[in-house]
Amino acid sequence: MTNNNEKTEYWRWLEYKKVMPNKDWKKAKIITAGVDVGSVGSKAVIMLDGEIYAWSVMRTGSNSSDSAKKALGWAMEDTGLTLEDFHYIVGTGYGRVNVPMANRAITEIACHAKGANYIWGPTVRTVLDVGGQDVKAIKIDENGKVVSFLMNDKCAAGTGRGMEVIADLLKIPIEDVGKESLRVNEEPEPVSSTCVVFAKTEAVGLLRKGWTKEKVIAAYVRAMAIRMSDLIEKVGCEKDFVITGGQSKNIGIVKRVENILGVKRLPVPNLKETGLDPVSAGAIGAALFAKALYEKSLKQ
Amino acid sequence: MASEIEKGTKYIPEMAQTEIDDLNKSIKTASLKVIEDNIERMKKAWKNRPQAMEYFDEISNLFGKRQEEIKQQKTAGKKVVGYSCIFAPIEMILAADAIPVRVGSGWYDTAKLGDRIMPVEICPVIRSTVGAKMVSLSPFLELSDAIVMPLTCDGRTKLSEILADYKPIWHMNPPRVKDDPHTLGMWKQEIMVIKEKIEKLTGNKITRKNLKEAIEKMQQATKAFRRLQDLRKGNPVINGRDAMLVNQTSLWDDVERWTQKVNELCDELEKRVEQKEHSTYPDTPRVMLTGTPMIWPDSWKVPNLIEESNPQGLVVVDEQCSGDRILYDPVGVDEWTMSDMLDAISERYLMACTCPCFTSEHGNEDRINWIIDRIKEYKVDGVIYYVVRGCILYAMEYQRIKRVLDKMNIPVYYLDTEYTREDVGQMKTRVEAFLEMLEARMDI
Repeated sequence: MTNNNEKTEYWRWLEYKKVMPNKDWKKAKIITAGVDVGSVGSKAVIMLDGEIYAWSVMRTGSNSSDSAKKALGWAMEDTGLTLEDFHYIVGTGYGRVNVPMANRAITEIACHAKGANYIWGPTVRTVLDVGGQDVKAIKIDENGKVVSFLMNDKCAAGTGRGMEVIADLLKIPIEDVGKESLRVNEEPEPVSSTCVVFAKTEAVGLLRKGWTKEKVIAAYVRAMAIRMSDLIEKVGCEKDFVITGGQSKNIGIVKRVENILGVKRLPVPNLKETGLDPVSAGAIGAALFAKALYEKSLKQ
Repeated sequence: MASEIEKGTKYIPEMAQTEIDDLNKSIKTASLKVIEDNIERMKKAWKNRPQAMEYFDEISNLFGKRQEEIKQQKTAGKKVVGYSCIFAPIEMILAADAIPVRVGSGWYDTAKLGDRIMPVEICPVIRSTVGAKMVSLSPFLELSDAIVMPLTCDGRTKLSEILADYKPIWHMNPPRVKDDPHTLGMWKQEIMVIKEKIEKLTGNKITRKNLKEAIEKMQQATKAFRRLQDLRKGNPVINGRDAMLVNQTSLWDDVERWTQKVNELCDELEKRVEQKEHSTYPDTPRVMLTGTPMIWPDSWKVPNLIEESNPQGLVVVDEQCSGDRILYDPVGVDEWTMSDMLDAISERYLMACTCPCFTSEHGNEDRINWIIDRIKEYKVDGVIYYVVRGCILYAMEYQRIKRVLDKMNIPVYYLDTEYTREDVGQMKTRVEAFLEMLEARMDI
């Protein structure tokens, strides 16, 4: 029996990048970048005078500093930009201190707050950032400044990495996990353990019990959604509410969090046209901080 | 009175001596590295660190000079009285010419050992102390001839049973409510019992003369401590970690020498105030720590994170029984009669204490007021509420305190952790995000 190696990697998600066609960086006064090295995804956003010019989203490798270089390099590809052209670069995310070309590191909490404010505007008050290895509930003000925040503890439950593990186990491509989890007539009991390792064991048990794949994935996704909602309720959910990070694309998570909280998230903009990608909210925020910090340095 | 328990059914199962020796050696080696690393980091953070800090660096070596000194004094006939928490009346230990040392453990590695016996849900301060006992790691615990164990929380209550398999344990029952008319009387009884026990152990009577001397010694220590604290109210002339180390070494150092060294440090620092020579930027966000005791050396994880973060934070004050609470209050005596002194000691150790083991109709008011006062005095920008998993009393009091601080518009962050080094990366993100938030507020 031979297996096509590509097909067995159900966790593998698509990487993407874009350069805005109608913009010319040579005309820009301030060129900045934000590089968000997450535990699962590395995101780079290049801004010209505070507007998105190019971006990339790719998988993080085993080395943070290489991942940062690759992500920014990919976003710069075909633009003619070189590292010397940047006025300021901010690194963020789990690997923020290992972004070699960054002038400064800022936490992903502040960057997602700033990025959410940029993507959706000043009415955003609550941001749920679901990353590869952690979940953050952030309250922000009209300027995109953090008012308070909560972060889950050290385990990877309810996060992108956990979804990857379950996708692999159930042989459901990662992009379809959310959709598949909604194909149940009624919500199953959530898995009792939110720990990825235990949840995996539990999922195997449920499959043996004869549960369908959809039902098992629904039980898992629901458990994660409950956990995220708890975090938001603890910090206090004020409208407008948005979701950022890789799991903002998981419709199974989004719908369930909305149901539990009784609040709809603001819709996702057309990222292909604008670059306003909730997955890259951290990198967008970082690029904006880079501009502000550069301007501050000019004044001093 | 031959109960089943007396036949040797100890909490801690017997371990082979070779295993004990191996573990003791490896954990001690690791701990010495942590101590050295902490001090290096403190030095690095503050290039022009005062000379007087060198003394405290030396005393901070739990396996060093101070241990040897106590050993020698013990050989010469002195007794060592350990205590698990700051309810223990130090003045009486000193009056009987015994050596007081605190025995709570801050070793992460021994918490892992304690896991063999205690469930992981138990507070790691307790598991770590148990683990330290398993391999005889703690010099001060091992040197103690008896241990005063105020039963403040459930963990300490049961810890006392475990340690009772090895050492005479002197329990104290602090009342959980301070403001009932009869509670001070109850507590004074507890103090009197301890007095008798100290006298019996040491063979020295606690007299009006030696108790007065001991009280005065501690008053001098408090005075020096307050002098140092006052210096933390203005622009930074000392980093939080250094001040915390100074405060904490008072728990095992010779009190008179400690007082003298603190005064020498303050002399240096006062000059720096005049010369505007700061330990860090004056606009660094000013942080208060509160919550679970943060015990040297491994728990320096948190102040290290705060003061090495980007943006940087400065710990200006704490509300912890491992820090600013140790020496804040002096014993206040009106008349130097035996009865007045004992009343004053009883009052000082009960009424002034802000431990979350207390309650009242209005909650733990004294703690809340203490925090509010310090926030104002020390111009605190934000509070980090530190709780280790299993520390129920501090964890529960958080909500009330958060609400009070919310009203004052003082940001507070609940930093929960464990006795582990593995969560440092994740904690760094949380601490930095909190400091960024404080910095952004200051920008406005």
